[in-house]
Amino acid sequence: MLSIQNLHVKLEDEPREILKGLTLDVKPGEVHAIMGPNGSGKSTLSYVLSGREGYEVTDGSVTFKGEDLLALEPDQRAAKGVFLAFQYPIEIPGVATMQFLRVALNAQRKARGEKELSVPEIMRLVKDKAAKLNVSAEMLKRPVNVGFSGGEKKRAEILQMAVLEPSLCVLDETDSGLDIDALRVVADGVNALRSPDRAMVVITHYQRLLDYIVPDFVHVLSDGRIVKSGGKDLAHDLEANGYAAYVEKAA
Amino acid sequence: MNAILTRTPTEESLGVALPHRRMEEWKWTDLRRLLDKPYGQAANTAAPKDVERLLKLATVHGVNTRRIVFVNGQLQVGSKLLDTAARNTIEGSDPLVVMGNALGGQGVDLCLSGNVDTPIEIIHIATKGETRAIGYRHRVTVEAGASATLIETFIGEGEYLSNSLVEISLGDGATLDRIKVEQEAPASTHLAHTAFTLGAKAILRDFTLTSCAKLVRHNGTCTFNGEYAEAHISGSYLLKGRQHGDTRLIVDHAVPHCTSRELFKVVMDDHARGIFQGKVIVRPHAQKTDGKQSSHALLLSETAEFDAKPELEIYADDVVCGHGATSGDLNHDYLFYLISRGVPKAEARAMLVAAFVGEAIETVQHEKLREALLTFAASRLAE
Repeated sequence: MLSIQNLHVKLEDEPREILKGLTLDVKPGEVHAIMGPNGSGKSTLSYVLSGREGYEVTDGSVTFKGEDLLALEPDQRAAKGVFLAFQYPIEIPGVATMQFLRVALNAQRKARGEKELSVPEIMRLVKDKAAKLNVSAEMLKRPVNVGFSGGEKKRAEILQMAVLEPSLCVLDETDSGLDIDALRVVADGVNALRSPDRAMVVITHYQRLLDYIVPDFVHVLSDGRIVKSGGKDLAHDLEANGYAAYVEKAA
Repeated sequence: MNAILTRTPTEESLGVALPHRRMEEWKWTDLRRLLDKPYGQAANTAAPKDVERLLKLATVHGVNTRRIVFVNGQLQVGSKLLDTAARNTIEGSDPLVVMGNALGGQGVDLCLSGNVDTPIEIIHIATKGETRAIGYRHRVTVEAGASATLIETFIGEGEYLSNSLVEISLGDGATLDRIKVEQEAPASTHLAHTAFTLGAKAILRDFTLTSCAKLVRHNGTCTFNGEYAEAHISGSYLLKGRQHGDTRLIVDHAVPHCTSRELFKVVMDDHARGIFQGKVIVRPHAQKTDGKQSSHALLLSETAEFDAKPELEIYADDVVCGHGATSGDLNHDYLFYLISRGVPKAEARAMLVAAFVGEAIETVQHEKLREALLTFAASRLAE
């Protein structure tokens, strides 16, 4: 589904490389965890996949469902099934959450040549999924993420994911700022979306999240490259021994 | 200094001296330079079908209102609210007041009592014709304890200048929602002076949309004459091309315990220029005044310009007053967030711009009016 080959990325206005030859293959149904210390390039990877401005790919390729992902605009990537759950979801004053979900879902459907849904159809769909994630009707009326607590913002991200039904979910530090109860709600939401057709890339600094979202593969990212890959036990190993061993090896 | 200036053709035609850039309040809107042709004053005859067509273009067309219609400055007979036009003389030395009195226009003299449920709408229509100046002079009194919604719509085609003088007084405990919609012709100039006076415990909610004329100047004054009154004055500008919109507002806290809120949201594209000059005066006895003023501009092009001049003149010591002014372009993080969810860039921009001006439009209480204004703003911005 997703094939990243020898990806080199730098910031547009700085010469320093952030990703230095990253290679990763993700098949449908798989959950991959990417772990690494601060500054290893984790967030850069999520932004490059979603198409944020300000990054320059200097070498390598990203293929998604057989297509050159890097050639697509961010909205086209979303319509093809790429979803980034933001580490810090953006607050957008004046745009109601429900309106935002309706516009986004119909824009994606239109881009895929599917019939757009009516307002009542979308309201029903959203309310149904919102209830499962403990997102209140009141939150849906409020502007996107405005005044939401940390936990509410992350639940709202997962709600968007549930409504938009992407085939590749990239979760960027979804556990940051969450207490254990909030983490459980978010993880349950993510787990409910696991399916044979859907892949997930879970980016995290800590092993804790992976107790709840159990990955099939764990990769250690250090200095812009994957330096070690393994099964879910690798995460426990990292938790016990720290990143130092891998980081040194990379250097 | 005026005396030594030779009268321009415009000044000759209007019979008054025009304010110019060397006058502090007019430094950004130099009418003497900006108005550069003579304006006739003969009333234009309008074809009924033109009037009908323009009426349908009014933003609030679909909302149930009681209408008073002026066409080219003349009251249309048949209004149930009013059978003869008033010729009010408006007090004051403001250059726009002087101009309006010189034009000697018609207007309404309305006295509202009780709870007036259906909004009253005064529509000012200008039909195509010779370049001319049209004056209006309105006086509205909302009696003690009464409540009403008043809409002023200005709509037209061709090249003309409107001067609208409005005096509104709210009695003790009166409530007024006033909505002004400037939808004048693209080649027109809209000048207005509005003076509010508020009695004790009166509540004023005022919203002005500035959107279509080439040149707009709103002068407003709001004076508190009784304690515990509130004034919420807001506005949105939607400007593009070479449009120029300027608001000069003076809120005068002459008595204690009153609250004023000003919120202006300005969107500009191309070479448009927006100006907000807001002054809040707190007189020596006006303790416990609570006054806030803010103006925010969204610049969609690098050639648009916003000028803000907030002024606070505070002579009392136990007050809460503040002002804030910002200007900037669309927030890139907001934009990326929307686009990353599949919303195409153009649509994402339109959503964010509508949300920006929406904050001021949301202050309109009447639901149908508010929706009509939001719809109009969205379509105007998408043009």
